[in-house]
Amino acid sequence: MHEAMECQGAAGAGLLNSREAIRDLFDDYYATLDAVDLEAWPNFFTEDCVYRVISRENYERGFSLATIGAESRGMLMDRVTGLRTTQVYAPRYYRRFAGPLKIGRGADGAVPVEHNLLLVQTLIDKQSEIILSARCYDSVVEVDGRLALERRDVVFDSEMIPNSLIYPA
Amino acid sequence: MSKNHTWPEDGRGRVPFWVYTDPQVYREEIDKIWYGPHWLYVGLECEIPNVGDFKTTTLGERPVIMVRSGVDEITVVENRCAHRGLKFCQERFGNRQDLLCPYHQWAYSLRGDLIGVPFRRGVKKQGGMPADFDPSANGLHRLRVEEANGVVWATFSDETPSFREYLGERFWKHYTRVYDGRKLEVLGYNRQRIPGNWKLMQENIKDPYHAGLLHVFFVTFGLFRADQKSAVDIDDLGRHGILISRKGEKEQNEVTADMRQFKSDLVLNDPRILDVVQEFTGEETVGMITIFPSVILQQQVNSLTTRQIVPSGPGAFDFHWTHWTYADDSSEMKQRRTRQANLFGPAGFVSADDGEVIEFSQQGFSPSEDEAALVTMGGREIECTDHMVTETAIRGMYDYWRKVMGYA
Repeated sequence: MHEAMECQGAAGAGLLNSREAIRDLFDDYYATLDAVDLEAWPNFFTEDCVYRVISRENYERGFSLATIGAESRGMLMDRVTGLRTTQVYAPRYYRRFAGPLKIGRGADGAVPVEHNLLLVQTLIDKQSEIILSARCYDSVVEVDGRLALERRDVVFDSEMIPNSLIYPA
Repeated sequence: MSKNHTWPEDGRGRVPFWVYTDPQVYREEIDKIWYGPHWLYVGLECEIPNVGDFKTTTLGERPVIMVRSGVDEITVVENRCAHRGLKFCQERFGNRQDLLCPYHQWAYSLRGDLIGVPFRRGVKKQGGMPADFDPSANGLHRLRVEEANGVVWATFSDETPSFREYLGERFWKHYTRVYDGRKLEVLGYNRQRIPGNWKLMQENIKDPYHAGLLHVFFVTFGLFRADQKSAVDIDDLGRHGILISRKGEKEQNEVTADMRQFKSDLVLNDPRILDVVQEFTGEETVGMITIFPSVILQQQVNSLTTRQIVPSGPGAFDFHWTHWTYADDSSEMKQRRTRQANLFGPAGFVSADDGEVIEFSQQGFSPSEDEAALVTMGGREIECTDHMVTETAIRGMYDYWRKVMGYA
């Protein structure tokens, strides 16, 4: 478990200055989710992260309601518990298609990253369909010598979700 | 009736699958129920605070515009130009001084009266509308509207009684427990398309029996369990219902022993999602109201939500969730409600289950429309109960449905 992130300024900003390291972070992130390795998913985040999957409608109008909203890594772990032990849903595959990363300038020890995301779902006996078409707004920090997400907003254009949103984006 | 459907022998104990699948039955429902003598949910008054603010939505299958036409006046008109029938307003929300169809620039007042027809008198004395054209007879179709403590209702029928009468006094009391006249504020929206018949959503919330079994999350954390003090109330005609329950503690007992999925060792890493405060008088922590046919009014712990049903053929409906908070709530309370929303919606810890099982239901009905579902939990009576091991509110709804639809 990581301790809460402390802003370190330029010290330890080595990884944050590496576009390759940031790309690797997202490659790993999506590979982990596509493999449904849900238990590993919260480890990509800081202890007190903010994670939201939120409709563009809510995001642009400043509404707080998110389709999935978490304010800590613990809440992400609870989401995994729900998916593994309490929720009922039909078996499905999710595959995530991320567009090119737009890596911004770091400030206060955090680097903003934006990219498009297409989330495609395939149910048994059904044709594949788009679940979300989204723009992701992430904030990457370095904690204990590795990169982590301190904030992630998945802002989806597609308001009308085809029934359920089961796995994370 | 297309196929001379007859209701099964065991009248109240069965619901035939063709009520969910037959396109002809669906058409009759749209006409007799959605456009019949019933009030339909349109939205919240606080969504359109200023004169000229509008929200578009769909009632039954018809697009409408809810607009603040005066400081203290809300108008609901069909979103269909009187000239060529366009659904002329395509935005979800906005503000306009008049309602304008872009095709030929016919303009309507915020109340739906026709106020402008370009070239009505022709151009250079040529063309134009005939002398008998009467603008006052060519406005937008206006619906009857009532606002009740912050919620806007509309009806297509002249026969519909007042909204309070439509609810009945018992349900007016349930309704005003949460919608008590305080000003409301929107927290945000969730929208999903569920591939099942619209009535399944009404049934889902009229059926407390499933909630203590399917929703392991609810049961595990004591939010809704079959042994808790609870009640089902239905109105005198059987169409509206409410599930009332009192939150308990996380414990194991004979009820959880009956649940194959119960997880006694489950703990939350971050329990703030269940940081519940008692805010309404009485000991009830849950009041889930179904108002036939169009909406569910949810009060589940501190989560306050309207869930609007928009039917789309016999096999699907759109489900619009509006989460709200009281305008004078503290920021802490608004955050609490926002957090608890994680239980609900298309990705909800609990509600995702419902969308899934409704889809499974429709998959079972479609190829077997001459078969029927059993609804005999709690017997065959239609009555208010002081427990939740019953399907009485579903029986009540079909009792009313058969009368309205003419299926004796």
